[in-house]
Amino acid sequence: MSSDIGTVLWKEWKEIVLERSAGGAGSYRPLILVGVLGIFVPFRMGPERFFHPLQILVYSFFSAVVVTAVIADSFAGERERHTLETLLATRLSDRAILFGKIAASIAYGWVISMLCVLAGVITVNAVHWEGHVLLYQDAASWLVLLFGPPLAAGFVATSGVLVSLRAATIRQAQQTLMVGFLVLFMGLFFGLSQLPPNWTAWFGGIAASWSAPTLVLAAVGVMLAVDLALLTAGMARFQRAKLVLD
Amino acid sequence: MPELAIQTHALTRVFDQVRALDNLTLEVPAGSVFGFLGPNGAGKTTTIRLLLGLIEPTSGSATVLGFDTRMQGAEIRARSGALLEHSGLYERMSAEDNLRFFGRIAQMPKQRVEERIRELLAHLGLWDRRKEAVVKWSRGMKQKLAIARPLLHSPALVFLDEPTAGLDPVAAASLREDLAALASRQGSTIFLTTHNMAEAEKLCHRVGVVREGKLLAVGSPSELRSRGGARRAEIQGRGFSESMLAMLKHQASVSEASLENGRLMLTLKDGGDVAPLVSLIVREGGEVQQVRSGEGSLEDVFLKLMEEES
Repeated sequence: MSSDIGTVLWKEWKEIVLERSAGGAGSYRPLILVGVLGIFVPFRMGPERFFHPLQILVYSFFSAVVVTAVIADSFAGERERHTLETLLATRLSDRAILFGKIAASIAYGWVISMLCVLAGVITVNAVHWEGHVLLYQDAASWLVLLFGPPLAAGFVATSGVLVSLRAATIRQAQQTLMVGFLVLFMGLFFGLSQLPPNWTAWFGGIAASWSAPTLVLAAVGVMLAVDLALLTAGMARFQRAKLVLD
Repeated sequence: MPELAIQTHALTRVFDQVRALDNLTLEVPAGSVFGFLGPNGAGKTTTIRLLLGLIEPTSGSATVLGFDTRMQGAEIRARSGALLEHSGLYERMSAEDNLRFFGRIAQMPKQRVEERIRELLAHLGLWDRRKEAVVKWSRGMKQKLAIARPLLHSPALVFLDEPTAGLDPVAAASLREDLAALASRQGSTIFLTTHNMAEAEKLCHRVGVVREGKLLAVGSPSELRSRGGARRAEIQGRGFSESMLAMLKHQASVSEASLENGRLMLTLKDGGDVAPLVSLIVREGGEVQQVRSGEGSLEDVFLKLMEEES
């Protein structure tokens, strides 16, 4: 099955790249993102803030934002452009199609976020040269850098595919995803602020007693579990007959 | 490969209250070109979806290339190619990348994919524009590419859902010639749906006529034409008048008569002969220069079947 996933990934990647190099306003979006987040922001913030672990979370978040547009296109776009039924009429298995599309979206978000980080490291070093290359110093930062962008992209890709599988158009999928994430983040924000004081104290105690890398690894574990649960839901939702008739 | 590429038994598919396909029992011999004729909404596309195992029948069964459509859809799809209702081309990608993608799906060796791309695109006159994004192409060119795609891996069975629909007559005729040449060279079984009778007559060894999900008739085009019974005669000459036309209409052997551009067009009943009618026209003062007679066309048979069922 891995070669089939690779085949779908190859096609998806070609389409993503071709769409973003075909002219029009959307063509320059990745370049603008890398220019702003990889050059302008690091230039303004300096090495202390740029190399802070929390800053990498921002890059993880942007990796997820980039994936939103791509994953919305995955099935809804094929449906809109009348290519979905032809794809489903091939020997490709349900999983190969689903995993290939998700993998392509994650890879795209990951590449964009890594380009931003790389450009940021170069910019900070160029502007604040101290005779040696400045890099992330602690293990927690490297762990966030390693797992943050793919897991955040994975969260958006696996939840986005659930929406795209049923959406009639790309626009509908994008709007549903945006509203969904808005509700989720606002719910999390208000939910956390309403936690009982003893719960807050318990979480605070854990955060104080665990080392930063342990905390990051715990968060990685939770994110991975969420991503896998969403992937399982996507597999259950992928029904060839329903996709053909929708 | 089994002798029968497709075999269905009482295949039925119901959507809500609508019977899209009603007790279809059909056999398609391997290596033949089978035409499935019917008006829009007759159940042609549903039949292809059922045969590819994309949707399940409500009742009945079907085997395609010896595989059960309910349980072995993946096996069928691996051994067949399909051009469905839409061309299904990735228009941002080039023609060769479109074909490469489907070659990879079919697990063809790289070199073989490149050979077949060259062979097919050259045959269809698309080779020089293979690197262009398909979005820039005319509809006829896109449709040719869409036909090349299911033939790429030389499958045992090819489904073509209205391959010339929406094309102008010149492009459609050219595509039909290409398709006939490709089919005979490749030796695959072709299951073709169309509502174009000329297409069916030119390409198909056997045809089935379907309406509202029901199979009305099946046979070779000549069998169907003879089953239709109607013979036609076209008489060219001078001195044909309305009174002569009225007299011909009253003859027992004539079912229809009309005057078109100075020519007498007659439709004869079963067993009807044109010779006594020519004598009658001459006796009535007409000058006959040329008489053409023959069986009715497949279109006549098709229309007759549609009328009988409505």
